[in-house]
Amino acid sequence: MTLLLQAVVNGLEMGFLYALVAVGLTIIWGLMEMINFAHGEFLMLGMFGAWWLSVTFGLDPLVAIVPVGLAMYALGVLIYRQLMRRVQQGDPFTQIFATIGLLFLLQNSAVAVFTSDYRYLSNTVLTRLSGANLHVLGVSVGVPILIGALLALVLFLALYLLIDRTEFGLALQATAEDREAAMLVGIRPQKMFAVAWGLGAALVAVAGAILANFFAVFPQVGFPFTVLAYAIVALGGFGSILGTLLAALLVGVVQSVTSVYLEPAFKDAFVFASYILIGLCRPQGLFGRF
Amino acid sequence: MRRVPLVLSAGACLLFAGVLASQTVPAANVQEVLVGELLPLTGNFASLGQQYLWAGQTVEDIVNNDYPDLTVPLGPGKGFPGLGGATLKLVVRDDQSRGDLARTLAEQLITVNKIHWLNGEGTSGNTSIIQPVVESFGIPMSCHPCASPTLTEKGLQWFWRTGPNDKTMVASVFTFLREWREQGGPTDLKTIALFTCDNLFCQDNRKIAAELAPKAGFQVVLDLTTKTGATTLASEVQRLQAANPDVLFLVQYPPETSIFQGDAKRAGWMPKIIATSNGAYSDQTWLEAQKKTNGGAGWLGRDPTAIDLVQDRPSWKKVNEIYKKYSRGQNMGELAMREITGMLWMADTINRAKSVEPAALAKAASETNMGPEQLIIDYKGVRFDKTHQNELAAGVVTQVGWDGEKHTIWPWDLAKRANFKVLYPSPGWQERDTKPKPAN
Repeated sequence: MTLLLQAVVNGLEMGFLYALVAVGLTIIWGLMEMINFAHGEFLMLGMFGAWWLSVTFGLDPLVAIVPVGLAMYALGVLIYRQLMRRVQQGDPFTQIFATIGLLFLLQNSAVAVFTSDYRYLSNTVLTRLSGANLHVLGVSVGVPILIGALLALVLFLALYLLIDRTEFGLALQATAEDREAAMLVGIRPQKMFAVAWGLGAALVAVAGAILANFFAVFPQVGFPFTVLAYAIVALGGFGSILGTLLAALLVGVVQSVTSVYLEPAFKDAFVFASYILIGLCRPQGLFGRF
Repeated sequence: MRRVPLVLSAGACLLFAGVLASQTVPAANVQEVLVGELLPLTGNFASLGQQYLWAGQTVEDIVNNDYPDLTVPLGPGKGFPGLGGATLKLVVRDDQSRGDLARTLAEQLITVNKIHWLNGEGTSGNTSIIQPVVESFGIPMSCHPCASPTLTEKGLQWFWRTGPNDKTMVASVFTFLREWREQGGPTDLKTIALFTCDNLFCQDNRKIAAELAPKAGFQVVLDLTTKTGATTLASEVQRLQAANPDVLFLVQYPPETSIFQGDAKRAGWMPKIIATSNGAYSDQTWLEAQKKTNGGAGWLGRDPTAIDLVQDRPSWKKVNEIYKKYSRGQNMGELAMREITGMLWMADTINRAKSVEPAALAKAASETNMGPEQLIIDYKGVRFDKTHQNELAAGVVTQVGWDGEKHTIWPWDLAKRANFKVLYPSPGWQERDTKPKPAN
């Protein structure tokens, strides 16, 4: 029983980290319905940003989330204005190929600048806490990941309030729903899309800065997270911020529990099997609307 | 109508002549020897690919420039003397760590770039995919750091490997564990768990370890295969902790190894011995990172050379200086050493063949009998068996000490020279945290 409980707790902890990665995609793909296959590369840039600020200026990644987030917001807006705005006018397939191209451009640029070496952070607040646990009912909860989870919760709450409780958020939703109608009431869709791309890039880069404490930093690090993030956003329901959070927790728990009792090599297969099963009953995702 | 057979015969003669002309390249006409370097420079295995590229550039530099004091093949003098001073030119291609692309690029290198030798791909899985292509075209191919035994067990005519395979190297680890008992080591090591990733390299290691473990007196209590590119290994660590083996045989790449370390630390679990085989243990950046955390202290693993002793060799030091010109100042790791050793053998073979004709190259390759004094690595030499595997390639066992460096602990004669006391049992997490870190 303790084994199962521990697996569930481990899964929930990882789920929060996955949620952190998926939150940026919720805006760009889930809400604005634009495809971005370079999402993992934004994560990778956030990780490299945190690593670089740590080794160059001794800045802790928990502090580095501010400059990294701001820089990536600017990059997100720039990418929308220079690339995606034009691509958006074409076929959806154009978006797929444009962002795949962006994926390779960003990944190979990172190889050129940083090489493909693995980089590791040490002596940060969270790495110094590694091994520290809270013990509840015979189950241990890792303190560093718990802090990461709390940060994920704060980000989700902030995003929820921004999207659902502010005029800006309502304008964003209106743009996603009907661009022409939004224009009639004075909303500038291009600006909304640019802000959405900026926010999406900034949020996933902040996630990257936190994840850099737990994972090796290298140019290809984003891919496994991106695959999971896509499944999470679709599973949670497009545009649903709460749905994304719950889906991320579900994915974490499915991975963790199945790995305890079944062959761990297939842990992602179980995640996608769950997605297919839920998709059969609720094609719109757990909290999505048609 | 009578002209038809005549035209066909003339056409056939021309075609035959064309084929002959394309295959036979007289030495006098060769200005450049083209070696295809097919590597994973981007994608999942890019960190390996870049080391192999730096190694290739080092060999290109050694062959094409005069290093009078360098006692490795083609060190002194410029170019290939056997080919009238022709130079070595690498034709580098990136397969993005993808087997399908590697196959296409191998065909292009042979048919479009007209390479004389293909070196690559650096990973056993993708190498096994391009082997049939190269075999069908009939040009020499080599992959020196590839360790999967299957690569040389297929009866291929055109593939050579100077490096040891996993059978040799994993056997080194288990021979050490078995003989250690007789040499004053612990006698209570009874159980082992295998913890490997899911690709060809890891699975080859797993199969060999599963076969050798009972022969070395170990009971396999858990055999876990994990996904390459895993984002968490917490559940796997839970299972390992529950099985509580004395020895953990771990074959994982650096990202997964660091995830394992984080999850094992969180669980407070450490077996008496962590034995590895390549993967993170061969990655210089992982080893360097461990110096900041003491994370690698006590880990032991197989290596193709006694890396702590080989640095005393003058040729190693000189080659390392050349390597650092290309590697942004990084020292050669053991993967780079394997690759450089193999590519210098290739250069020597081309020189001895005095031709770039495939048959002449194959003959020279098979006639290789290179002594250890010409190598920068601790092989007993280079001489091929009938499968084209270097039968003189050897394995050693090393352990990471508190100084963060690898020290030779087997074979016993080299261990005596290295004079290192084996760390046992593997230090716990608290001890690692409190001890001074070599990099701080």
